[in-house]
Amino acid sequence: MKRKWLMIGSLGVMACLIRTAIAQEHERSDKGSSAVATAASSTATSNASHASASAQALRSSASEERAARLEGEKRFRTNCGRCHQPPHKFPPRVMATALRHMRVRAMLTDEDMRLILRYMTQ
Amino acid sequence: MGWSVKRTRTFLTSATRLRALLGFAAIALLLAPGAYAQTASEEYVKPVPLLQGSAGFITNFEGGQPDLHPIVTPVVLLPIGQRWLFETRATFENDLVAVPGRPGFHGGPVEKEVEYAQLDFLANPYVTVTIGRFLTPFGIFNERLYPAWIRNLQSDPLVLPIGIGPSNASTGGMVRGGFKANRQLNINYAAYFSALSTTSPVDSDRFAGLRTGIFVPKARLELGGSFQHLLQQERSNLFGFHAIWQPAPLPLDIRGEYARSKRGSGYWVEPAYKLSQFPFLQNEMRRTQLVARYQQFFTGDLPSDSLPSVNTKQFEFGVNYYFMDGLRATTNYGRQFSSAGNLNVWTLGLTYRFVVPLGPAGRVP
Repeated sequence: MKRKWLMIGSLGVMACLIRTAIAQEHERSDKGSSAVATAASSTATSNASHASASAQALRSSASEERAARLEGEKRFRTNCGRCHQPPHKFPPRVMATALRHMRVRAMLTDEDMRLILRYMTQ
Repeated sequence: MGWSVKRTRTFLTSATRLRALLGFAAIALLLAPGAYAQTASEEYVKPVPLLQGSAGFITNFEGGQPDLHPIVTPVVLLPIGQRWLFETRATFENDLVAVPGRPGFHGGPVEKEVEYAQLDFLANPYVTVTIGRFLTPFGIFNERLYPAWIRNLQSDPLVLPIGIGPSNASTGGMVRGGFKANRQLNINYAAYFSALSTTSPVDSDRFAGLRTGIFVPKARLELGGSFQHLLQQERSNLFGFHAIWQPAPLPLDIRGEYARSKRGSGYWVEPAYKLSQFPFLQNEMRRTQLVARYQQFFTGDLPSDSLPSVNTKQFEFGVNYYFMDGLRATTNYGRQFSSAGNLNVWTLGLTYRFVVPLGPAGRVP
C-alpha cells in the first residue's frame, strides 16, 4: 500500500515538473516575441537622434560586441554540445553558477568560460 | 614481522604519493593570486546558489522481466566568493519489480546516496583544486555522461565499473584544469588521489590516477587517455582511452571508450544522429535523435562483482525525442550475447532536467 502511494507520488511529481516545464517554455517564447518588438521600436527611435561621429564609435563597438557574441556562440556549441544538448538561455546569475560548475566538470578553459558567459547573458 | 614491514612500506609509499600530490596542489595555490587576478575582475556576473538536477521514470524489460525505475538526482551548487564552489549530488531511486502471485510492482525502500560532495577552488586559469568526495575521472562516462538527462541510452556501458571505484567516486584530493595550448588545441587534465573508505555507501578504493585529453575545436574532436594505479589488493595498473567527435557538417556525435584492468577489459562505441537535416516534418525531425551503441567486454584474470562474469557483446539501438529543452522521451532495444545466455533489453523512459535558482537570478536575456 505504502509503495503504491510512493509510486503515485512520484508520478505526481513528474506530472508537476512537466507542467512547469511547459509553462516555462510558453513564458520564454512570449518574452522572445515581446523583446523583438521592443528592439525594433528602439532601433527606429535611436536612428533619428544620433550624430555621425558617435554613430561611428557605436558601430565599431557594436561590431566588436557582435564578434564576441559570435565567438561565444561558437564556443558554446562546440563545448556544451560535446556532452549534452545545449540548453536555452538562463538568467545571468544562474548561467554564472552553471559555468563555474562546467569549468570544473568539463574542464572548460578560462577563455571559453568568459566568452560563453558573455554570450549567454547578453 | 615480514607482513608488518611490507605493510609499513606500503603505507610509506602511499604517504609519499599523497605528499607529492599535496605538494603539487600547494604550488598551484602559491602561484594562484597573480595569475587569477585578470580573470576574477572579468567575471562580472555574481553567481547564485542553484538547485539543479534531473528526474526520470525508466522502465526496463530485461529478459522479458519489467522493472520500473523512478530516479531523482538533485545537484546543489553553492558558489562562495569568486573562486570557490561547493557542489554535491544525491540520488534517490527505487527498483519496482513484478512479484509472481501478487498484483502490481513491488520494491524495497528508496535507495539514497550522496554521489559526490566536493569543494572546488579555482586557483588560477589553469588549475582547480578539489577536495572531498568526487566522481572518479577515469574515462568520460562516469564523470560527464552519467546523469539520466545527458546519456543517450539509459543502460550503463559494460566497462563502466572499471577504474571508478566501488561507488563510482573517490575520497581525497584532485587537481584539474583546462587551458589553451595554442590556437588549434586545448588541453585538459585531472590528477587525483583517493583514500580507502569502507563506510558504505561512501566507500572508495585507495588509488592514484591521471586523465588527460586534447580537444581540437576546429575539428570538434577530443581524444584522451586515463591511467590509474591501485594502491591496495593486487596493486595493478588500469588504463583507458576515450574519444568524442562531432563532425561539423552533420548533426552527429560519435563517442567511444576503451578500458583495461586485471578484472576485465572492453570498449563501447556510440554514434547519435539528430534528424534535423531532413527536409520534411522539420519541427518533429529536429527533435528526434537516433542512437546506437555497440560494446564488448572480455573477462580478466581476476573476478569482479560489478563486471560481467563471462565475455559479453551487446548491441543497442534507440530513439530519443526532445519535447523541449530538458524534457525527453527515450526508448531503446538491445540484445546481449554471452555464454551465460542471450537476452533482449528494452528500455522506455522519460527524463527531465530542472534548474531552480536559490536566490534572485536576474532576467533571461
